[in-house]
Amino acid sequence: MEYVGIEPGRLHFSWISSSEAGEFQNKATEVVEAVRALGPAKRLVKDIRPEEAEAG
Amino acid sequence: MQEMTQQIRESAKRLLEQGQVDCVLGYRKGTVPMQERPFFAYTPEDADQLVWTRFCVNNLANFLIGRQDRIAVVAQGCVSRNIVGLIQEKQLTREQVYVLGVHSPGMVDRGKVQEHFPNRVIHSVEEDGEELVVSGADFSERIKVRDVKRNNCYTCTHRNAVIHDELIGEQGKETGGGNMDKVAAPWEKLSPEERWERLEETFKDCIRCYACRDVCPLCYCNQCFVDENQPQWCGKTVEETDVLTFHLLRAFHCAGRCTDCGACESACPVGIKMRMLTSKLEKDIRELYDYSPGLDLESTPPLSVYRPEDPEPFASG
Amino acid sequence: MQDKILDKSELDAFLERLGKEHDVHAPVQNGGSVEWAAVDSSRDLVWDFTNTGVSPKRYIFPQTECMMRFRNRSDDPEGMVMKEEPGLTRKRALLNIRPCDVKAFRVLDSVYCQDEKTNDVYWRDKREKTLYLGLACKSPCPTCFCTSVRCGPHHEEGLDVLLVDLGEQLLLRPVSDKGQELVSHLSDAPQEAVQQAAKQKEDAEAAIQSRVDLENIMARSVLELYEAPMWDREHESCLNCGVCTYVCPTCHCFDIQDETQGEHGRRVRNWDTCMSWLFTYHTSGHNPRGSKKDRYRQRFMHKFKYMPQKFDVIGCVGCGRCTSRCPVNIDVTEVVRGMNEQE
Repeated sequence: MEYVGIEPGRLHFSWISSSEAGEFQNKATEVVEAVRALGPAKRLVKDIRPEEAEAG
Repeated sequence: MQEMTQQIRESAKRLLEQGQVDCVLGYRKGTVPMQERPFFAYTPEDADQLVWTRFCVNNLANFLIGRQDRIAVVAQGCVSRNIVGLIQEKQLTREQVYVLGVHSPGMVDRGKVQEHFPNRVIHSVEEDGEELVVSGADFSERIKVRDVKRNNCYTCTHRNAVIHDELIGEQGKETGGGNMDKVAAPWEKLSPEERWERLEETFKDCIRCYACRDVCPLCYCNQCFVDENQPQWCGKTVEETDVLTFHLLRAFHCAGRCTDCGACESACPVGIKMRMLTSKLEKDIRELYDYSPGLDLESTPPLSVYRPEDPEPFASG
Repeated sequence: MQDKILDKSELDAFLERLGKEHDVHAPVQNGGSVEWAAVDSSRDLVWDFTNTGVSPKRYIFPQTECMMRFRNRSDDPEGMVMKEEPGLTRKRALLNIRPCDVKAFRVLDSVYCQDEKTNDVYWRDKREKTLYLGLACKSPCPTCFCTSVRCGPHHEEGLDVLLVDLGEQLLLRPVSDKGQELVSHLSDAPQEAVQQAAKQKEDAEAAIQSRVDLENIMARSVLELYEAPMWDREHESCLNCGVCTYVCPTCHCFDIQDETQGEHGRRVRNWDTCMSWLFTYHTSGHNPRGSKKDRYRQRFMHKFKYMPQKFDVIGCVGCGRCTSRCPVNIDVTEVVRGMNEQE
């Protein structure tokens, strides 16, 4: 994904066992925070709203 | 090349006469310059139409998918590797196919030849050793084959067939001389922003004819994801997001399976260089799994198998 | 109407005049090939080229076209609001368009504008707001066969003005009233120039080597052609990709889709291709053109039998694009000869 220029950090992989609930929760929070910090996705996003609606 | 053509015809006739196969798949002389046509010979008479030239750019493995008959096929390195791939993926049985192995001298990119003669009408192109004689209504010029080969043929790693039941001609030099790892290198040096721009630029002329997919021996799904409509994964427009979604997903689906045969680039009517995507994926597969597709009937493609020792450089933390 | 003459050095003035009311588009050099683009200077124009890789069909029938927009908000007392798309806001001129590509628009008029009820507003809007300044063909390709399908390198049908390249000068032949108005300020072409243009026409027609005969196709019944044994083998190497249909100036099939995003939506029309199995796939699961052979046959039957029978037009202008771009060298002239000659 990074090779084609999709922002680094938008895609995360991790290996968590089904018994590691705490680890799963921490990871989920971490991913959400990291992606939120990047803001809305700019790549591969289709916006079909008419121009006047885009601003709003 | 003339001798090879003769040998292919003789072998094809023998196989058909003796009933060893039902059909021989090869190439027939095309009706336009530098474009041979995939051809199925069912009778010894048909076999007289078979040819072997530097314009055989289609990957014949593509035409084997779904065949139920016993079929002989003219296969150079990349085609034979795709046949191996199809057998690995259970689309074909080894017993069903009779491989007429040929050495590929590297095929010609007709776009590059046309670029040598901007806006001039080429009426014929004849091979003469390591040169091509290009003629039009009012000109006839020679150019060197080595200047107009397809990009993938310069970085070829297997010009000889990797499996064969019969060899046509002699085996020859194995590689094209170029370094495959360097194909993806120009993009690797760029920043994410710049890469995205290159991606947009590369695919901007796509008309979504799907020739790249339909000419590819890896793309044999009964229903391609772009043709699914419940749910519809990908829009039908030629807007950037839809076009790139198609090309990116197709590339991912080919990872660990692509033999860099170049059929996609040869087929593209608008000259898109999609090897910029596939070459990176195959480089990653070589580096991560030490695997090159289509070389060994006994091996399993790395993305089809789980091994505890598989590397996981992508997993964070 | 009187032929006119224009020195190429005066082209910029002509372009400026044309550009007052029109966006001018023309074939321009694009790397190794020649493709359509907007032009504002005579420097961009090319004179020695065969034809563009992709046909100018998209100027009238874009590959992706928004037909209307809608908004659906549950709290909106108006309910679902649908809004027409504005048509082309400025007139357009297609300069140096090849006569075959203009003839293709005429062919498609018979499909899109059949009568009052079958009268596609999207097609018609752009058709009417476009000026067609054709450039006579000097160097036909080996794949061209226009003279066999009621067309030709100097064919005037559908044009406003026909341009003939005489080297330093251009001969401009007004064909329509709009064309007449556009060139009326220019000086009359001298007799030699008119003769030179006539000679060019003769030479260009003679240069077209490829000929096909359609007589038997017209005489034979649909079923006879449909069931001809030739289709059994012909389709084998076809990939069923869409190249031939998408580069073709007369292929005109489309797929309409509604796309939504929250409360907003739009209806888009996209090119589609009869080569695709999905094109005819019914909701029931049945597919009337389920095999590759069915789809392969369809394209040729449509152009060379169904359209002549239904509209008295040949659905092909002989530009040869499908042959030259086909990844597996399926040659339209070879197929049509087969249809015409088969027992």
